[in-house]
Amino acid sequence: MSTPLYQPRARIPRLAEAAVERARLTVVPGRATKAARVPFITLVSLLLIGGVVGLLLFNTHMQQGSFVVSSMEEQAAVLAGKEESLRMQLHRMRDPQHVAERAKKLGMVPAGSPAFIRLSDGKVLGRPAAGEPADALRIEPLPPGKPSSVRPRLVIAEVPEATKKDKRERDTGARSEATSRDQDSTSRTKSRNHDRAQGAGRTP
Amino acid sequence: MSRGARSLRGTSLLRLRVGLILIAMVVSVFAARLFQLQGIDAKAYAARAEAVGLQTVTLPATRGAIRDRNGEPLAESADGLMLVADPSLTADDAQEIAKIVAARIDVDYFDVLERLRKPDSRFQYLARRVPAAEARAVVEELDDAGFEGVDTERDPVRSYPAGDVAANILGFMGADGNALQGFELLFDEVLSGKDGSATYETGGSGGQRLPLGENNVVEPVDGSDLTLTIDRDVQWYTQRVLRQAVQGAGGESGAAVVLDSRTGEVLALADHPTFDANAPTLSPERDLGMRSLFDVYEPGSVEKVLTAAALVDAGKLTPDTRITVPAKLHRQDRVIGDYWDHGRLRLTLTGVIAKSSNIGTVLAADEFTPKELYGYLARFGLGAKSGVGIPGEARGLLPWWKNWSQINQDTISFGQGVSVNALQMAAAVNAVANDGVLVEPSLVKGRATTSQGATVGSDVVSSRRVISPRAARLTAEMMEAVTDPEEGTAPSAAIEGYRVAGKTGTAQRVGEECGCYDGTFTVSFAGFAPADDPRFLVYVVVQDPKNGGGGGSVGGPAFRKIMTYLLRKYAVPPTGAPAPDNPVEW
Repeated sequence: MSTPLYQPRARIPRLAEAAVERARLTVVPGRATKAARVPFITLVSLLLIGGVVGLLLFNTHMQQGSFVVSSMEEQAAVLAGKEESLRMQLHRMRDPQHVAERAKKLGMVPAGSPAFIRLSDGKVLGRPAAGEPADALRIEPLPPGKPSSVRPRLVIAEVPEATKKDKRERDTGARSEATSRDQDSTSRTKSRNHDRAQGAGRTP
Repeated sequence: MSRGARSLRGTSLLRLRVGLILIAMVVSVFAARLFQLQGIDAKAYAARAEAVGLQTVTLPATRGAIRDRNGEPLAESADGLMLVADPSLTADDAQEIAKIVAARIDVDYFDVLERLRKPDSRFQYLARRVPAAEARAVVEELDDAGFEGVDTERDPVRSYPAGDVAANILGFMGADGNALQGFELLFDEVLSGKDGSATYETGGSGGQRLPLGENNVVEPVDGSDLTLTIDRDVQWYTQRVLRQAVQGAGGESGAAVVLDSRTGEVLALADHPTFDANAPTLSPERDLGMRSLFDVYEPGSVEKVLTAAALVDAGKLTPDTRITVPAKLHRQDRVIGDYWDHGRLRLTLTGVIAKSSNIGTVLAADEFTPKELYGYLARFGLGAKSGVGIPGEARGLLPWWKNWSQINQDTISFGQGVSVNALQMAAAVNAVANDGVLVEPSLVKGRATTSQGATVGSDVVSSRRVISPRAARLTAEMMEAVTDPEEGTAPSAAIEGYRVAGKTGTAQRVGEECGCYDGTFTVSFAGFAPADDPRFLVYVVVQDPKNGGGGGSVGGPAFRKIMTYLLRKYAVPPTGAPAPDNPVEW
């Protein structure tokens, strides 16, 4: 099996044997040069640790930022809500009904006929007039009428003869007072009806 | 030696193969599991993951405000919250919690107490539509006091800062946040906007967003604002004057219209009775609409203005045309009379208008064929929608001229036998004030698209000439005689220092039950000022006054108050031109 391998060597001329021997290549013994391992490992570990710690810090920072964002957003919502309710309050104050009620409380009345001063020549345009009761405007709604079932009815009870004298006096006194009050209101109603009748002249 | 090596090699090969098979089996299990997780159950797991960490919140779109012509809010939206309680947590401390809640928010203490103690419930409303700041303050106070179980949830507030002012126009919203009535409903698509949403991962007990986590935001699109031609202050004043006029006359209902004569913009459109837009449920349903647009009535003598203007425009008559007015006028089988008893009168056309004579108007209208009178009245907008663009507006009724008999023409000439809505009639009379040009009234400033897809607003109004400028001027001069203290029917409508044109109306009213004239009346007054350069038109109508008043005594003072306010607010000085002195009699 190994025989054919020797054949070519056999053909090499004997003459050059020495040269051949010289020319034979041999492996140069390796030079063992060991690089220092410590700096490399240190570098890698530092990079690794630095990276991990950095990432951790970054993440924590982001997390903290998220907390801040949450709380700030909440604060913003609270403040926006406050602003909104204040603005609504302002709008309620600016409501013409509210302004008119305040003005009325201050004793103000609507002005009479409109009149103007022209500033260029100081001329008065229109006929100025003081506000009159006829110009007054009722700004509050009428109070709702009581349903008839709630309106108290005047009950007149006859006092029996047999009642004690002092008690009767007290009772009749109260009754006559009630009756006179009733008469008052009747006469008021009458006069109101009278007013209405006066204003009844129909015009188209 | 070589034999041993071969057997060694054989065992390692076997080991390799066994190992490979084992690894393949493990990997197949992983693959199968992976397929199961990612392929088959993916959605269920994704949903579970979402439930744990992903949160989706609706970013609500803010509903647009409705503003008046000066930008004052008539309806506005605010971020509101509802207060909800979990009775299983609150029942023990109900008294203390209710005390705090009732002290801060306008709710009934006992009502809250009952809700906090509701057995077998874990969810109870304590208060709805509370402004956000107030609701948060309550929850904060409860937290500080150490009570649990009360929380807030979103609940947008629609507020109408001026209460009943323009409520008939604005309409209102339901408790669920849907528009129910009026412009809120009509322009819902414009106002409502589109809600957005945000999806993000949360962690921790506070629900903070995870940085670098999944985050997906669709921004909400807020609704647009709507600007009306209404002037809030004028609207308020008009409503109060109208209320006083209706209640003072013991009337059933009433309407008032204020128009800018030149542009047709509606400065105020008042109805009485009306409602508080913040609490619509407190008013009966019949008061929630717009009577001034939906209800029709016979205009009565105010229509004489239109008849006279048409006659002057057609060149048939002049303000000085002499008309002999008999005490009674027999027409077909009917007798036409005037509201006051008189013998034979010798009135000019001006006098007929000033004294509001039915007989005089009928005789004057005899100059017209039915077709001519119908043509003029139709061009004045009678029997057709006013063009304000509100669905449901009543068309009114102007009978077709071919069906007129003599008595129809007679009554139509003085405003009986036709029906109108208040805005329609105001726009018709305004044509006289606006140099003979009828401008369609508008309620929306600029333009806006209704839910029905129609574009309405002051930018898209159309106008048409009805009568010549000369006829309009002469008619206005005739109308000035109405407010004349000696000759006119409405001296109470006159404004000191100004030239005021107007016309009273007292019409028989068709009752709802019998469909006939039931003895009740509609009284009205339409007028404009300054008469020689009109700026505003005011029309006041009171239905069924019980005090026996007419258009002059009920509508006149109300007109004067509103017009005075307008002239002062918009700083319109008197023109200073002398009033015409047209003869009333001859």
